[in-house]
Amino acid sequence: MASIRVLLSDDHSFVRRGLRTILEATEHYEICGEAGDGIQTLELATQLAPDILILDISMPPPNGLQVASQLRQLLPKTKILMITMHDSEEMLRAAAAVGASGYLLKSDAEELLLVALQRLEEDRCFVSPAFDPSLAERLFGQATP
Amino acid sequence: MSALKVLIADDHDVVRKGLKMLIEEHPGWQVCGEARSGRDAVDKCAQLNPDVIVIDISMPDLNGLEATRQIRKACPRTEVLVITHHDSDEMAAEVMDSGARGYVLKSDSDTDLIRAVEALSHHKPFFTSRVTEMFLANRGSRVTDPSEMMRNRLTMREREILQLLAEGKTAKEVATVLGIAVKTSDTHRTNIMRKLDVHSVAELVRYAIRNKVVEP
Repeated sequence: MASIRVLLSDDHSFVRRGLRTILEATEHYEICGEAGDGIQTLELATQLAPDILILDISMPPPNGLQVASQLRQLLPKTKILMITMHDSEEMLRAAAAVGASGYLLKSDAEELLLVALQRLEEDRCFVSPAFDPSLAERLFGQATP
Repeated sequence: MSALKVLIADDHDVVRKGLKMLIEEHPGWQVCGEARSGRDAVDKCAQLNPDVIVIDISMPDLNGLEATRQIRKACPRTEVLVITHHDSDEMAAEVMDSGARGYVLKSDSDTDLIRAVEALSHHKPFFTSRVTEMFLANRGSRVTDPSEMMRNRLTMREREILQLLAEGKTAKEVATVLGIAVKTSDTHRTNIMRKLDVHSVAELVRYAIRNKVVEP
């Protein structure tokens, strides 16, 4: 099976390293690049046109939501999985509004990152189970199992 | 020469995984254990006696700063390196006060973290130039720092209980977590509220958030 090209974006290098370790344990994903801030993410994403962008929300400006909003127009085929420590409904709504396909809490990353990516590959959405499933479904469509 | 033993404490699995990879790539360094909360970190330090602990500030049950104070008391040989996403003058000063000898922001480079562990392994302090600037900038304003005033007013046990109450635990649940009687837990709660001059749990939570005992 052809590998899925993933761009990692997080201003914390330990998090990028942790995500990379999880993805590299499978042969299904190719990490095509890593970005440590919003500007670098915009540059690398437009240059590499990844299948999936794993994008942190809290980054030095432009933050992940602003980046997602811009990329939605530029790269409509790239799926965006937001990854964050914010477990608020407000942030979940904001992520849905900018066109993200998934919302993964960092506390779930080790257990659910591969599940989330699989969903996105199937043209479905993913929202961490900490959120009300009916809200997740209203905002993201088929987000729940 | 025996390996340098490093304990990692962060409530996010993915961060611990990244830190473990980074530390174990260094020859002669070994991650001897991992902790998911401040309380877990204090317990594992006592069990494993690491040379260095790399500890996050924002953790449930017991935050990294309170855990650092307890670790420095119980395991004075263990050097503490604090890692955090809190980029503020006040936090730099808080970290220094807790007894940690190193402070790295999560947005700093991998090289900074390696250099910090290296320095602490030789019992030398390590602060990035950005952190040193923050600390120096904050020195003049320490006298009126509200979190310092809180520390002076509350005992270490009371600060622990303040965090647990602010996280939504009842006096009974606090008693279970700390292995104390419910009546003792209740007395601590009453004393905390009296010392801080707050009159409801909602006010207590607001106080804890304002003073960065817990995250909003």
